Amino acid sequence: MATMTPKERVKRFFKREPVDEMPCFSGMGTVTVQAIDKMGIRFAQVHGSAEYLAGSAITGAEMFGFDGVVVPYDMCTVPEALGRGVSLYEDAEGILYPTVPSKWATLDEVDMPGDLNVIFEKARMPVVDEALKILVSHDGGRLAVGGWVLGPFTMAGQLIELDVLLKGLKKDKDRVEGFLARMTDLVIAVAKHYEDLGVDYVNIREMGSGTDLLSPRMWKTLIKPNLEKVFSALNAPKINHICGSTDLIIEMMNDCGADAVSVDQKNNVAESRQKLGNDALILGNFDPYGTLVQMAPSEVDGVIQKCIDDGVDAVWPGCDIWPDVKEENMKAYVQAVRKYGKEPTPAVGRV
Amino acid sequence: MGKEERREELLKELHEGVVEFEEDQVKEAAQKVLDEGFNAYDAVMNGLAAGMEEVGELYDQQEYFVPELLMCADALYAGLDILQPHITLEDLGDKPKGQVVIGTVQGDVHDIGKNIIKMMFEVAGFTVHDLGRDVPLEKFVEEQLRTDSEIVALSAMMTTTMMGMEKVIKMIKEKNPDVAIMLGGAPVTSDTADLFGADGYAESAGNAVQEAIKMISRLREMQNK
Repeated sequence: MATMTPKERVKRFFKREPVDEMPCFSGMGTVTVQAIDKMGIRFAQVHGSAEYLAGSAITGAEMFGFDGVVVPYDMCTVPEALGRGVSLYEDAEGILYPTVPSKWATLDEVDMPGDLNVIFEKARMPVVDEALKILVSHDGGRLAVGGWVLGPFTMAGQLIELDVLLKGLKKDKDRVEGFLARMTDLVIAVAKHYEDLGVDYVNIREMGSGTDLLSPRMWKTLIKPNLEKVFSALNAPKINHICGSTDLIIEMMNDCGADAVSVDQKNNVAESRQKLGNDALILGNFDPYGTLVQMAPSEVDGVIQKCIDDGVDAVWPGCDIWPDVKEENMKAYVQAVRKYGKEPTPAVGRV
Repeated sequence: MGKEERREELLKELHEGVVEFEEDQVKEAAQKVLDEGFNAYDAVMNGLAAGMEEVGELYDQQEYFVPELLMCADALYAGLDILQPHITLEDLGDKPKGQVVIGTVQGDVHDIGKNIIKMMFEVAGFTVHDLGRDVPLEKFVEEQLRTDSEIVALSAMMTTTMMGMEKVIKMIKEKNPDVAIMLGGAPVTSDTADLFGADGYAESAGNAVQEAIKMISRLREMQNK
């Protein structure tokens, strides 16, 4: 029987202190259509309202038994506050995540405020703050609350055209490095702001930096130093999350100063565990779309069991949960985490 | 130097210029191809595209990554801009190659893979109608009808937008069952499109680029038969 509250469980987990069972949570969005339908709203409406954001997170956590809640769900809140707009797709049928419609076309067009704190008053930033406050105080602070920010490189890719950024890494290195340094300050400002609001952990999602796109060498010289700066500036338990191919960079990822690394299904976790040793907190690594949307419910158990057998300390989806999940699959996922998560994992014991 | 020897030399300059992403070298070699009376189509297929094929191999070997691929593509375009106006119908087998509607579906603002696939069609002599990115689904259908294109190429880099591709396939098939539909980087014939459904999507920009380059290779094989 569970003896800890979800928040206690997650807090102890990140300190590598023994827990009663594996916490079931994520550092990415876990909003589902079941939660949204229950609230009688549409996905496109969720992003602009603190009540809807917090409400859908809490409803989903209570429906399926998650230990943690995470907002916001889209990656445009900061770019929007910097004047890049947002496409919410309110008229589209089905579910579409918001996107950034007007990125800066060149480095010359970049126009960042001198005082980064002004962005917290703009666009939907106050909505996210309000939602986090609701989550932190909900039910006497029972649930673990996660905040997240894109990593400097991924944030850069949300603000200027990706091909300008990628080619610039080779052809315009000094200016791109300068831009990434400003992105690093931006990421730190936002992450610290969420720390101040009382989140229990901060996930830095440097999603676009895996070796599908960048060489390990480029990762080492352009991504790692900025992530090190971010993690050294933060106090809350912090996670270094990268999706896509990470086998070649997992050791460098673990060396950036975060409390945990999070990877997706492309990572060979059994090998990563060997490389990093038993002290490293590893989170991952199932394919949320394949497992929760496409598979038969009976197949989910085996996927979760494999993550644990391979050596994760907590089962995390490799990305945001795609909201249109099958309810039975979600239940099977949480059940399997509870079932196989009773035993100690490499880095975290059991009480 | 014999004419054949000189041809080989220029092809090599184009090829190497693409691989080493030396835009100026590619431009100079392309201009020399024209000035010295060599065949422009030969230079595109056996110089530029052959270079891109090697770039694909370097990517597979994890020597090149996406930044390098983008720069190689820029070098290829620099040559294509010069050579393409001089490609004749005769080069293409006496009939135009056909038309393609291309774009990334609504909800997706990533267009690196799409742009590489577009380049592949241009290399092959197709007329490309590029709808850009974040394109509402109906637009693909409208543009196909307007241009009577034989191929509609849909690109989605993210899992979350591939659902949109499935809808577009249905909409196009209802109006015009003979249109060939390509998803991401994977080619699909009109017979297998339904079967293929949403499975032919690229998982990441890297994969899409890889697929697109493989298609250039396949195309070159076909041309050389």
